[in-house]
Amino acid sequence: MTSETAEDLPLSGFTVLELGEGVSAPYCGKLLADYGADVIKVEPPAGDPARRHGPFPDGTTGAGLPHPEKSALFLYLNTNKKGVTLDFSTASGARLLRRLVEEADVLVENQPPGRLEELALSYQKLAHVNPRLLMISVKPFGEGPYGRWNATNLTSFASGGQMYLTGDPDREPLLTGGYQAEYQAGLNAFAATLAALLGLAVMEIGQHIEVSAMECQACVLEDRLPDYAYRRSDTLSQRRGNVSSVLTLEEALASPQMKARRYFQEVDHPVAGRWVYPGPPFRLTDGSPSDGGWGWRAGRAPLLGEHNEEVFGELLDLARSDLVRLRAAGVV
Amino acid sequence: MYRLPLSGIRVLDLTMGWAGPYASRLLGDLGAEVIKIESARNWDVTRSLHLLGRDEARGYNRSGHFNHLNRNKLGCTLDLSHPRGREQFLKLVALSDAVIEDYSDDVADDPGLSYDVLRQARPDVILVTIFAHGKDGPVAGISVAAALCAALLYRRRTGRGRWLEVAQRESMASLIGEFFVGFSMNGRQPPLLGNRHRSMAPHGCYPCAGPSEAGWLAVAVASDAEFAALCQVMGRVDLTADARFADVVSRYRHQDELDEMISAWTRGKTPREAAMVLQEAGVAASPVASVADLMEDPHLRERGFFEKTAHPEAGVWDMEGVPWRLSLTPAHVRLNAPCFGEHNDYAFRHLLSLSAEEMAELESEGVTGRTPLLSLHD
Repeated sequence: MTSETAEDLPLSGFTVLELGEGVSAPYCGKLLADYGADVIKVEPPAGDPARRHGPFPDGTTGAGLPHPEKSALFLYLNTNKKGVTLDFSTASGARLLRRLVEEADVLVENQPPGRLEELALSYQKLAHVNPRLLMISVKPFGEGPYGRWNATNLTSFASGGQMYLTGDPDREPLLTGGYQAEYQAGLNAFAATLAALLGLAVMEIGQHIEVSAMECQACVLEDRLPDYAYRRSDTLSQRRGNVSSVLTLEEALASPQMKARRYFQEVDHPVAGRWVYPGPPFRLTDGSPSDGGWGWRAGRAPLLGEHNEEVFGELLDLARSDLVRLRAAGVV
Repeated sequence: MYRLPLSGIRVLDLTMGWAGPYASRLLGDLGAEVIKIESARNWDVTRSLHLLGRDEARGYNRSGHFNHLNRNKLGCTLDLSHPRGREQFLKLVALSDAVIEDYSDDVADDPGLSYDVLRQARPDVILVTIFAHGKDGPVAGISVAAALCAALLYRRRTGRGRWLEVAQRESMASLIGEFFVGFSMNGRQPPLLGNRHRSMAPHGCYPCAGPSEAGWLAVAVASDAEFAALCQVMGRVDLTADARFADVVSRYRHQDELDEMISAWTRGKTPREAAMVLQEAGVAASPVASVADLMEDPHLRERGFFEKTAHPEAGVWDMEGVPWRLSLTPAHVRLNAPCFGEHNDYAFRHLLSLSAEEMAELESEGVTGRTPLLSLHD
C-alpha cells in the first residue's frame, strides 16, 4: 500500500466538483482524486445511477433493487471522493451548487445535454460566480447537429467508428466488453483537465472544455482513418479484427508481473467490505528503488451523502438547522 | 501566435509506433514544443507504412500513418548509440522539460542515458517511460499525455522532476476496473454479452439497407418510456401492451423476439434515417459508422473536426482534429509532421548553437542524417 501524505501527490491542493453519473465524468473524477485532488461528488438524492449497475457481491447484475453501496462499478469509479447529495434542479439546491463552484478550481460534468443550461448553471453563468473556473463537459457528441441526441456507451462506440472495426466480418459489428467508449471519454477529459490546469497559470482565467466521446473514438482508429483520408479508399477499414481478451480476470489478478508491481490493492469499505481494486494507470516515482510512492493513493468510494455535513456545514458554513430543513425538503 | 495550455514546454520524444507518438501528438496539439528524435539506423516504423508506393522518392516522408500521428511536432535526427549523439542529446535535455521514451531507444536500460544521467543534465527533468508491446494502440497514449501533465503540475508546486512509468497493460486494466472488483467480490468471470447489456433491453446492432452496402444501426433502450417511443416509431404500439415486454426484466428475457421485430423495421431504412427518427423520439440510436461515414458525417463536419492539412511532400488531405474543445485556447493542427531530419538546423544550430562545421562533422560521422536506412524496416 502506498503511504504518501496528501502534499506529495501531483494534484494536491486542487478542489474539484463532480456532477458525474455513470462512467465517463466519474472516471475523470476518480483519476483526479486518486492523484491527490480534493474531489466533491454531487449526487442526486436518489444516488448516481451507477449504484444500480453490477457487478454485485452476490453475483447479480442489477435487476430488482440492488444495495446502493455495493455496486463494484460505483465503488471502483468513485474512490477517494467526498460524496454529497444535492438536487440542484431546485432553487435552493442551485444556490448551494453555485456556492460550491466558488470554492472549486474544476467542475467536471456529464449531465444530459442542455440540462445545466435549463437550470441557469451553464459555463457562462458559472464563470460569473468563479472566473477562474475550469469546466469540463463530457458529452456523447458535443455541440452540433447531434448535440441533443440521447446516447449510451453502445451508441457512442458505434458513432465514433470503433464498433464498425470490431467483430467478425461475417457477422454484425460487435461491442467490446464494459464501457469502453465512456471510459475513454473520461480518460480524455482527465488529460484535458490537467493540461488546462497547466494553462490556467498562464491565462489567469478559466475556460470551458467540451470532450466529445464520438471524437475521442474517431481519434484512436489507428491506421484506419489515415488510410481513408489519404487514399479515399475504404478497403482496409472493411476488414474487421477480433478483439481478443487473452487473460481471464483470474489470470490477470494472479499474474506474477502485476503482483511484483503491486498493481492490485485491497481497499476496505464500511458497507461493501474489503475487495481488490486496480491500481494507478501511471506511476510517478523519484527514481529510487526504495520509493514506495507512485504519486497515487488507494482509497474508497463515499457512502451516499456521507460528506453532506462536512461539505455543507464546514466548507459552506451552513447552520445545522438549515441542513435539517434542506434534508426535509429533499434538497440534500 | 496565441498561447496554448502547454506553450513553453519542450518535450524530447524518442517514441515510435502508435502509443507514444499519439501521446506526444496530444501534447503538441496543446502547444508543447515536441522534438521527435530519430536516426538513420533507428527510425519510426510507421514511416514505412506508406500508402503512396514505397518505391517513390522520399516515400518515408509520405506515410499517412506517420503524418497523422506526428503532426504538431518538430523532427531531428541523432544516433543515441553514438557517443557524440549522446553528448548532443544531453545538451538538448538540459534545455527541455521532459523526455518520453518507449524502449525503442532503450534509454532507461542504457546506463549512459539513465534517469540519473538525464537528471545531471537537467535536475528537474521529467522522464516518461512507456512499457508497451510493439503495436500497442494509441489509447494508452492518452494516459501518457495525462501522466506528463500531472508531473508538470507536481514540478510546478515542488520544483522536483519525476520518473514516470506507464505500463500499457496497467493503464488498459484501469478501463475495465469494475470487473476486477466484481471478480474479487464473487469469483465469477462475467459472461460474454456480445452487444447486449444486463440492465437495458433491447440493446443491439440491427441490419439496415444502405445505398451501396449493408449498414448497421445501434439501439439502446434504457427505460419503459424509451421502449414505448421505439414502438411508436416502428408503428408497433401493440408491443407496449404485450406482457413479454412490460419491463426491462421481461424485455431482457424476450430480447431475441424483440431483435427480430426491430430488424424487420430497420431493414427498410438507411442507418442514418433510422437513427434520426429514433432520436427525434428520444431513443438512443446511432449508425455504426465506418471510417468513410465519419469523414462525411454532418455533425463532425459542422464542428470542423476534420482539418485540411498540407504537407510539403505528401500533399493536401483531411486530418482528424483534437477531441477536446477548449473555449479559450482551441487546439488545431499547427504543424505538419516533420520530414526526416527536417529540423536538424533548429535543434543543433539554433538551440545548441553548433557551427556549420560542427554540423557537417556530425553528419559525416553519421550521428545526424538526412535519409533513413531503408533496409531497417523492410
